[in-house]
Amino acid sequence: MEYMPEFTVARPSSLAELVAARRANPGAHLLAGGTDLVANIRRGIVAPEHLIELTHVAELQGIAETSSGGLRIGAGVTLAALIEDERVEATFPVVVEAAHAVAAASHREVATLGGNLCLDTRCVYYNQSEWWRAANDYCLKHRGKICHVAPKGDHCFAAFSGDLAPALMVLGATVEIASADGKTRRCALPDIYTDDGLAHLRLTADDCLLAIDLTPPEPGLRTGYAKARVRGAIDFPLAGVAVALRRCGADLAELRVALTGTNSCPLLIEGTRDLVGAPLDADTLERLVGLLPKQIQPMSSTFTPPGYRRKVIANLTRTLTSRMFDEAA
Amino acid sequence: MSGRPPPEAPARKKMIGERVPLIDGIEKVTGRANYTADFLTAGALVGRIYRSPHSHARIIRIDVEAARKLPGVVAVITGADCDKTFGILPIAQNEFPLARERVRYRGEPVAAVAARDEASAEAALRLIRMEVEGLPAYYEPAKARVLGAVDLHGDRPGNLERDVHNEFGDLAAGFAAADLVREDSFDCAEVTHVHMEPHAALAEYDAERDRITLHSVSQVPYYVHLMVAQCLGMDTARVRVIKPFIGGGFGARTETLNFEIIACLMARAAGGRVRFKLSREETFLTHRGRPRTQIKLKLGMARDGRLTACACEVVQAGGAYGGYGIVTILYAGALLNGLYDIPAVRYDGYRVYTNTPPCGAMRGHGTVDVRHAFECLLDVMAAELGVDAMALRRRNLLSAPTKTINDLMITSYGLPQCLDWAEQASGWRARKAGLPPGKGLGMACSHYVSGAAKPVHWTGEPHAVVNLKLDFDGGITILTGAADIGQGSSTILAQAVGEVLGIDLTRLSVVANDSRITPKDNGSYSSRVTFMVGNAAIQAAERLKDLLVAAAAKKLDAKPGDIECLGEMYRVAGGQDPGVSLNEVIKEALIDSGTITVKGTFTVPREFQGGKFRGAAVGSSMAYSYAACVAEVSVDADTGTVRVDKVWVAHDCGFALNPLSVEGQVQGAVWMGLGQALSEETCYHAGLPVGANMLDYRVPSIVESPDIEVKIVESMDPNGPFGAKEASEGALSSVIPAIANAVHAAVGARLTRTPMTPDRVLDALVKARRAAASGGLKRSA
Repeated sequence: MEYMPEFTVARPSSLAELVAARRANPGAHLLAGGTDLVANIRRGIVAPEHLIELTHVAELQGIAETSSGGLRIGAGVTLAALIEDERVEATFPVVVEAAHAVAAASHREVATLGGNLCLDTRCVYYNQSEWWRAANDYCLKHRGKICHVAPKGDHCFAAFSGDLAPALMVLGATVEIASADGKTRRCALPDIYTDDGLAHLRLTADDCLLAIDLTPPEPGLRTGYAKARVRGAIDFPLAGVAVALRRCGADLAELRVALTGTNSCPLLIEGTRDLVGAPLDADTLERLVGLLPKQIQPMSSTFTPPGYRRKVIANLTRTLTSRMFDEAA
Repeated sequence: MSGRPPPEAPARKKMIGERVPLIDGIEKVTGRANYTADFLTAGALVGRIYRSPHSHARIIRIDVEAARKLPGVVAVITGADCDKTFGILPIAQNEFPLARERVRYRGEPVAAVAARDEASAEAALRLIRMEVEGLPAYYEPAKARVLGAVDLHGDRPGNLERDVHNEFGDLAAGFAAADLVREDSFDCAEVTHVHMEPHAALAEYDAERDRITLHSVSQVPYYVHLMVAQCLGMDTARVRVIKPFIGGGFGARTETLNFEIIACLMARAAGGRVRFKLSREETFLTHRGRPRTQIKLKLGMARDGRLTACACEVVQAGGAYGGYGIVTILYAGALLNGLYDIPAVRYDGYRVYTNTPPCGAMRGHGTVDVRHAFECLLDVMAAELGVDAMALRRRNLLSAPTKTINDLMITSYGLPQCLDWAEQASGWRARKAGLPPGKGLGMACSHYVSGAAKPVHWTGEPHAVVNLKLDFDGGITILTGAADIGQGSSTILAQAVGEVLGIDLTRLSVVANDSRITPKDNGSYSSRVTFMVGNAAIQAAERLKDLLVAAAAKKLDAKPGDIECLGEMYRVAGGQDPGVSLNEVIKEALIDSGTITVKGTFTVPREFQGGKFRGAAVGSSMAYSYAACVAEVSVDADTGTVRVDKVWVAHDCGFALNPLSVEGQVQGAVWMGLGQALSEETCYHAGLPVGANMLDYRVPSIVESPDIEVKIVESMDPNGPFGAKEASEGALSSVIPAIANAVHAAVGARLTRTPMTPDRVLDALVKARRAAASGGLKRSA
């Protein structure tokens, strides 16, 4: 078995207790389902002295209807609970679809929405054992000096691999964040990310993602998620795309596309607004796919070659958008 | 009044041919089964292995002093503690349990620590320093073979562990007679077993008596016993090897593995009990799986599809040590024969040392990749000749009994029936051409040995021994050294004994694998156990039956020849007397004798042990299993993902002693072939395994698992136990080419590399589209 070092675990049951626990244990790591963190602890990538388990923090739990008719989903809601929730399924089916695409059933029982959104970036040179990384002189992301993906640069290209972020992005989700003093603030989901494999979250060490807010979808909105992977279960996305669109008669009235797996953060694709107001013909689809190359940057952070991830994301975007458009008719 | 009718005979229990659940299944599903890691009793020290971070280097110094001084550390050992090598064939035992002088792959064990707790062991590992002088490392066989490349072992120029050159029949005449000759190259990635249970060993040294006891995960406890004694310099009588429940083997554990010897060395050094629980990554590093295999295959064919000649060149990247390497490269050539009637075959095989974890045996040992190439090329040639793929195989059938050009004895041959069923069940004729775009049907055949006819260690002993013990309680204990690794060998032995004696499992129990108790067995490899140990069990049971019949005769005051055995009842045949119960017979049998032990043995006759040429023993067997497989696939043009929708597979296992178990084995073979075909591949970054975990090494999940229809074909082998042959390995080789041929049928793309991962399929689709487009242009021009 991989070695598991010793650490303490605090179990706050409210936001106030969480704030206190963080104050008492500086440098503590937040633990939700643990499907990402525990594997990284066993590999020696993180060696926390203290963990704070979020499972019992009331403010992170539950799915509630908001006054606007949308949903507030606690960051601590498990993916299994998300999948089973009839309101989510009825109103935001793409969230269920994306949650279903995460790992396997047993992971989803414990893995949380917040955990998937805050998933550490992944790289073939990083997600390895201590022995492995030491033998490879470590890497820019952890203890080392060079990025083995792009040895000449000083940028880390570890890829973001969450499935839920693109689905929530095309729905225009906002997030609720609690800071060190327990005060909460809100921002658009894309704003918590930046395209840097070393530090892809724009959250401070004291921030904690509390919840995701979804406003009711525009009438007629069609959404979908497609994921490229080798196996139909377990695998992280080699690339994934979420699409949300509306039609007005024969024309495309609205289009939002978001990607995962291609960069160090999920991307809401820019320029899709220029495509609306016309039918989604082959030419428009190619223009849509033409937006991708300049915005995405898959690198050799997976064993599957980056060229494949480029091709496949274009194919998936084309097919999914086309299907959504047809279904919206 | 007429006389009484004879009393109705109590039904004699039928034990073979029945769908008997595995006798150890209850323990497994309830969690009561004890695996090696479950024996970690209190007081066992924590053993850990320090592994080389270098691919190839001369060791200057290994500094373990700081580790030794760390509180909680009991012992630290290095290569200095053992100067004996281990391995398989006496001529190729070139591996030290802990590296000495040189390290040859990243992950090779260099030192080991035993500590009182996990944290101290971990801390001690981090204090070990290794000073080395780097040597050039070779990960590709072509680079290892270059003139002037550093010789990994100093005695094999060009790093050739073994080259094989065999020609049977008149090759030149064969190709001259061909109407169509085609040649292609195939590159099959290295794959590994991924048995569910990671490696583990528990060793206990009895310092007062100088004895060692090892619990380990071996498929070959007897080999382990020999190697432990050899490396520790101990008399074999002082060694005891116990194999508890095992979570899979698939060939990974058919040779002694370094950690097993390290555990014993460490137990002696620490003067007590030490346990090693290897991580999944360490299990990958220990490897011994199927080597990367590059194949150049040339086939000659007459217009009607008859094979006229075959020339095959195989290069295997074998990793850093000998292991089973010689056997693997010989198997790859030997089983070019035995499936079809080919008048001339030339084989050139090269087993090359590389600076990667050692390869070895894996389900279908040596033969799988070559069969893949062969069946794919047949598909290409069938299309060119306009002959249906099934019909093409039928034109090349053997006729049993026969002896192949390389002296393999084929005694039973159910391939024609396998083909007939696969064709019918899959709707081959009607559906082949009519599937929608992106969907395709493909087929292939395969075969495998039922036990290597010649054992690795030539001792003159029988190839298998089974003991039966019958005592006052009326229970019969089957004592066997055969390792049940999940394949169900213990169940089969119980069924065989039960069948001969006409009794059911309530009287039978199996004790397997404790060298102090059970007779020696060569182990679970080459699908030998059912055939060889099964035959030994039958003989033992017949000898016991003779004793029981004699006792019954005495009791009934009759001649033994007149006694009829009805299992739980013995009586005078045809008489009016109801007879005596088995319990009474047993009591009679025990008078004057006490506890009865009988022995059955089995030895493969000399004429089945292969021809006279060098390496002829490998591939020789008393019987061969046959399989035909049809796969139906869908290819996603967006992602290049191949989904196998359905697999039909017919397997000729001679006779299904336990159809439930046979079906399970064949399904497992399909599933393993599926992984190799589509997603499994060990990848290295400068000798570091990139995917040494179950996330990145992509064994198919249940989502990928297709509907599998298994047909058991029974050709009743004249020498097999009740007619049985191998049932677990043979089907695997047909699955990979069947899928590849189906992919071609679906999208017109022919992939010559395995696995056919989405990126490779997408590339092939683009190429096929371009070729079709340019072909179209040419035609229109």
